[in-house]
Amino acid sequence: MDDDLILDVRNASCRYPGAAADALDDVSLALRAGDFHAVLGPNGSGKTTLVRAALGVLPLRRGGVELLGRSVARWSRRELARVVGVVAQREENLFPQRVRDTVLLGRYPHLSLWGGVRPDDRAAVERALERCDVAPLAERSIWTLSGGEYQRVRLARALAQEPRLLVLDEPTTSLDVRHEMELFELARSLADEHRMAVLLVTHHLNLAARFADRLLLLAAGRTVAHGAPAEVLTRETVEAVFGWPVAVERFQGWPQVIPLRTRKGTG
Amino acid sequence: MALRTRRRRLPISAPTGVGVFAMGRRAHRTHLAILLAVLAACGAGREEGRVRPASRIVSLSPAVTELLFAIGAGNRVVGRTTWCDYPPDVRQVPSVGDGLHPDLEAVAAARPDLVVLYRSPLNETAADQLARLGIATLVLSQDRLEDLGRAARILGRVTDRRHAGDSVAGAIAQALAAPAPALGIRLALIAWDNPPMVIGGGSYLDQLATLAGAQNVFHDLGSADVVSLETIAARDPDVIAVLSDRAAVGPPAFARRPPWQVIRAVRERRFITLTGSLFGRPSPRAPAAVAALRRLLEAAR
Amino acid sequence: MKWVALGLVAAGALALAVVLGPTHVPWSALASSDIIRSLRLPRAILAFLVGGALGLSGAALQALVRNPLADPLLLGLSGGAGLGAVLAIALHLAGVWALPLAAFAGALAAMALVYRLGLAGDAEPDPRVLILAGVAVGAFTGALTTAIVSVASAAELRNAFLWLWGGLSGASWEAVLVVVVYLPLPALALLAAARPLDLLALGEEPARYLGADVLSLKRRVYVAASLLTAVAVAVSGVIGFVGLIVPHAMRRVYGHQHRALLPAAFLGGGVLLVLADTVARVAIAPRELPVGIVTALIGVPLFALLVRRWTMT
Repeated sequence: MDDDLILDVRNASCRYPGAAADALDDVSLALRAGDFHAVLGPNGSGKTTLVRAALGVLPLRRGGVELLGRSVARWSRRELARVVGVVAQREENLFPQRVRDTVLLGRYPHLSLWGGVRPDDRAAVERALERCDVAPLAERSIWTLSGGEYQRVRLARALAQEPRLLVLDEPTTSLDVRHEMELFELARSLADEHRMAVLLVTHHLNLAARFADRLLLLAAGRTVAHGAPAEVLTRETVEAVFGWPVAVERFQGWPQVIPLRTRKGTG
Repeated sequence: MALRTRRRRLPISAPTGVGVFAMGRRAHRTHLAILLAVLAACGAGREEGRVRPASRIVSLSPAVTELLFAIGAGNRVVGRTTWCDYPPDVRQVPSVGDGLHPDLEAVAAARPDLVVLYRSPLNETAADQLARLGIATLVLSQDRLEDLGRAARILGRVTDRRHAGDSVAGAIAQALAAPAPALGIRLALIAWDNPPMVIGGGSYLDQLATLAGAQNVFHDLGSADVVSLETIAARDPDVIAVLSDRAAVGPPAFARRPPWQVIRAVRERRFITLTGSLFGRPSPRAPAAVAALRRLLEAAR
Repeated sequence: MKWVALGLVAAGALALAVVLGPTHVPWSALASSDIIRSLRLPRAILAFLVGGALGLSGAALQALVRNPLADPLLLGLSGGAGLGAVLAIALHLAGVWALPLAAFAGALAAMALVYRLGLAGDAEPDPRVLILAGVAVGAFTGALTTAIVSVASAAELRNAFLWLWGGLSGASWEAVLVVVVYLPLPALALLAAARPLDLLALGEEPARYLGADVLSLKRRVYVAASLLTAVAVAVSGVIGFVGLIVPHAMRRVYGHQHRALLPAAFLGGGVLLVLADTVARVAIAPRELPVGIVTALIGVPLFALLVRRWTMT
């Protein structure tokens, strides 16, 4: 029994109800403690579907998913939430709330039914606020935050869960350069220092190449390439999957994809 | 003044009582003109006049049906409502509906030369529609006994049975003029239990109660009002009158409910039941109703 | 302390309801008066419980359908109750409890129907479809009720509409007992769902990821809130605005977390209805206003004020 193996997705296939084709077809993925994997692919390639299947939200037609050695279907949602922190793509918070209170929601999986909030819980919230650099915003209403600030608050909430696996579904969409880099650096440090397994879904091919250990490239629900960044991000592969001419350069040893302009001009 | 005519029939629309203001101006002038003509005919004492006696009458009010039979014009009634049940002969007359929302087609199918309605906002509209069909209409107030007296007189005129009409009106006036001696009984008339609804002054039943020598403890309220149970308890009636469509056996259902026991008359089970046909609507049998009520009250004392 | 204040306000409202009334009861006779013991006291307590049930149900439903404009009566329950009551009268069902039981049964039938419609092809109820289904069922039962009343046209049926407008005049110690025995189970079920409801405010998917069993939560909250509303309507007719306004007013003072909001909504709803019923009994004494009209008259301006301040922040 591999204690280090946190998430094991084996030949997973699933289909949304009423759909004509599989959204995910024979995809495999294994994450150990301290791993940082990125999932890439064009729109509709099955990235979010993979996240849902891995977390037991979408049932599998074939294959299996195990979390910490146990089939994910046998985990209750509460148990799962104590181990996996997710920053989903979309969230609409209905009521105006203080930042501190919304991060506290991350402690809910750890609270008993009638029990109160303990000092440990508050400490975990504080740590999460600090790590995501939103501690100064703690008393503000979330409706007054910018998109980037709110994104970091959501990450803090996931960290407050004190998970062993962190899943981020396109977390940098509304972040500026600095905050985007900070988020990737944070994810990397969580994997390195805290031995957290990090699964990050992103459009950002280049940052994924620089920060992740392994890349999984999907297209139409299938695995196109899976491995180290240099193996996955080749010119032929990227052009075939994304349908756009690119050049692949090296930067500090990592492959960087540069999309080419179609009109005659420099570059 | 000329009477307005439509087709070859004379529209006779003579409102009485209060409420002439409910009509449009053109109809108002017509009605006013005819009213003056009728009153002139009354004053002059002439039997013939510009008004042809009605021979096919549809009555959309049980009180009117009773009045028409009482003045001897019952054989001219060609349509009645489902509620018209007195005198028993009236059942042979075909019904044209329940009279609350007059079914104009059924009314017209009876080919009347006069339709009589009781005054209400819905009926004002119906009257106008009938007038447009060329059918003469008569809209009469029927809330209290005085209205019935007036109605008797008018019906007597339009059916050319003036003496009978006047004598019925006279009997009603006589009953009104001589209330029975006071029984010393305080009465509450309860129309509904949840929420408690009582009958107050301005209503026909209140009039009957007064004529029977009883005192309606809610005489100061409108004809039907919702009150608290504690108000009924505080006014402490001696007897409670309950209205019902059918004859009831024993005290009403609400008499067993614990909150009602606060009222003395309920604790002592002093109830009388007034059934709809005789008591529920103004009727030329009012003197009989008053007598019946007095007997019931005396028995419950 | 905010809770102490609310408790004092509740006690004050109850005291006011017992002391004030259309008839005068001298201070010396307060303890012994039949009117106080048999009429005003059970009525005040019943008003508090019914108002509390409506406030609590409203707060839970607003979280469930993720719509701050939701009112428990929006889910078609009042229409079902009215239809049940009118049928009971038309069929001349006997017994003191015939009317409330028929109203309750009607409300439950409406609840099941709205839930079925709200499933919208999936196994899970979609909150947006729930609201639409509720409005549709409410309109349908309302039309049926009106049809029955106009066809049958007895005076009794017309008076049934007065009952529907909302009235605590039938209050008795028996009714209080029934409600006291009935309330705790659905109320506790809602209180237990307080934390998951906080999570649901983020959306169904984030709530799942934070440990909420969303399908079970939606079912539990829907059934419990409907049961609370059904008993309220069965006992006292249709009383609007309490379930809509009280949660908003309480949110301003107690915040959005349901562990505090749900009990506050219960107490606040109780206070509002007790005060409204007192006004209904006293304002035009000796006559009585239907309490549903008083809650609307108080509620609509109050709601306009709340909406204005909500949109301004």
